[in-house]
Amino acid sequence: MKPDSAIIRDRTAIVGVGTTEYARDIGRSELKTALEAIRMALDEAGLGARDVDAIFKIETPGEDPNSELEIARNLGAGALRCWGGFGYGGGGACAPVVHAAMAVATGMASVAVAVRARNRGSGGRPWARTGSRVTGLAAFEAPYGLVSPVQQIALMARRYMHQYGATAEDFARVAVVQRSHAARNPRAFFREPITVDDVLNSRLIAEPLHLLDCSLETDGACAVVVTGAERARDLRQLPVLISGVSQGMPPRHYMMNGLLYQDDPFDMPSKYAARDVYRSVGMGPEEIDVALLYDVFSPMVLWQLESYGFCQPGEAAGFVRDGRIAWPDGELPVNTHGGSLSEAYVHGFNHILEGVRQVRGTSTCQVEGARVALVAAAAVVPSSALILRSAA
Amino acid sequence: MSQEQPPARPLPQETPLTAPFWEAARQRRLVIQCCTGCSRYRWPPEVACYECGSFDYEWAPASGRAKLYTWTVAHPPLLPYFHRRAPWPIAVVELEEGPRMITNIVGIESGEYEIGMPLVAGFEDIDKDVTLVVFRPSGETTEGAEGLAPLRPEPR
Repeated sequence: MKPDSAIIRDRTAIVGVGTTEYARDIGRSELKTALEAIRMALDEAGLGARDVDAIFKIETPGEDPNSELEIARNLGAGALRCWGGFGYGGGGACAPVVHAAMAVATGMASVAVAVRARNRGSGGRPWARTGSRVTGLAAFEAPYGLVSPVQQIALMARRYMHQYGATAEDFARVAVVQRSHAARNPRAFFREPITVDDVLNSRLIAEPLHLLDCSLETDGACAVVVTGAERARDLRQLPVLISGVSQGMPPRHYMMNGLLYQDDPFDMPSKYAARDVYRSVGMGPEEIDVALLYDVFSPMVLWQLESYGFCQPGEAAGFVRDGRIAWPDGELPVNTHGGSLSEAYVHGFNHILEGVRQVRGTSTCQVEGARVALVAAAAVVPSSALILRSAA
Repeated sequence: MSQEQPPARPLPQETPLTAPFWEAARQRRLVIQCCTGCSRYRWPPEVACYECGSFDYEWAPASGRAKLYTWTVAHPPLLPYFHRRAPWPIAVVELEEGPRMITNIVGIESGEYEIGMPLVAGFEDIDKDVTLVVFRPSGETTEGAEGLAPLRPEPR
């Protein structure tokens, strides 16, 4: 049976967004920052805490202190009809909004909040807690020194260079373009323009990747409020319709390193999320005006451009080299807020907020006449995606 | 009491699923799972076969011949054990039987790594309980390694 996308397409809307400042050490708990972001999003929408009857969040096992019920109590939410937390790190970025849309579209809930709060700047690196005895897949990886995401992506990046002829300069160009976008964004943590040479001269972290190919390490929170498209018309903001939704996981998937265990390591979760997000809205890549692509390390943007059909496998380096992802002249401006490389690393949830701004026409790198924004979660872990559209 | 312990290398915690692999490594043998139902090799270890669903498998000897598939050299920040030895190269090899493994290359510097170079398995005793499988250049040409027949029929 083919999934029936009409059940969800354009049935719900994002009616409010909220965010804290982004900082290396924000000096308060993730529960507090989550509440601040949610309250700001509700205020923007003209809704109250008691209106909230569903809460969805990104969560990281063993790290995440904010349960849905703690958020609900401290927010002052009404009785919850639906809730859930979504794992797999940045692959879950869009998943809370996808499930908020599902809950509202099916009538399980009426006002859903989706949130990510994380003190990844001051809270330390999860891999640094690797113990002296390791189990599961890590038993075959950590003894050899492979523990951190940047090392995993570096292994993929080296193979990508070998298969497709991309270079470290091609990765660096992504960071340079995104920094040029961040330069206009007062929320961005890094705003000083950089060059390809700056990236290549920054210290090596995991060859071929340099420090400036890597995302920030940020404390902060982002939230959105989702309600039905009908009700959205009566609220304060111009509704941003949730047109397309997806999650995607390839068959026989093992997370990041696991791509190297697959027959084709570039058969990434993002390809599956792409296929279904386009199908759910009946649209293709040619209709996307602006793309917010998960970018924890610069090569991932190239892989996302290929996964989402903006170019063929192996062609993304040339696509970037030709200036096609740069605002304002590129045909597909990417990460117009600066992304995880320059604005903040909030597990990609800040990309959703930028998608909303673009559709509302309020970005600091506003794509002229933008009506359709793609938001893509991490490419290499069980992933998720959204297509947002103007209701105007 | 004040004597400082050197930082520990993270080492495998054996489980019922993986213990035969580590036991074989201590005996200087490289074994990987081979499905009894459909004769497919698989790595990493799983409870059941993705292709045919069989729970039955044997730990089959692998030839130890492999090619370098990809690699990185990790720089700080690293876990303390590796930090002391930085920069630390990490490799992925493709076994002659098909599956790929994370490992370390011994015997050459990372500057000499080349994707596709022929390698052969070796064994590094970390302590009395743990032996890691590592790889070293085999010295054979790529063509020669390709010409060697696998121990088991190719899957599919």
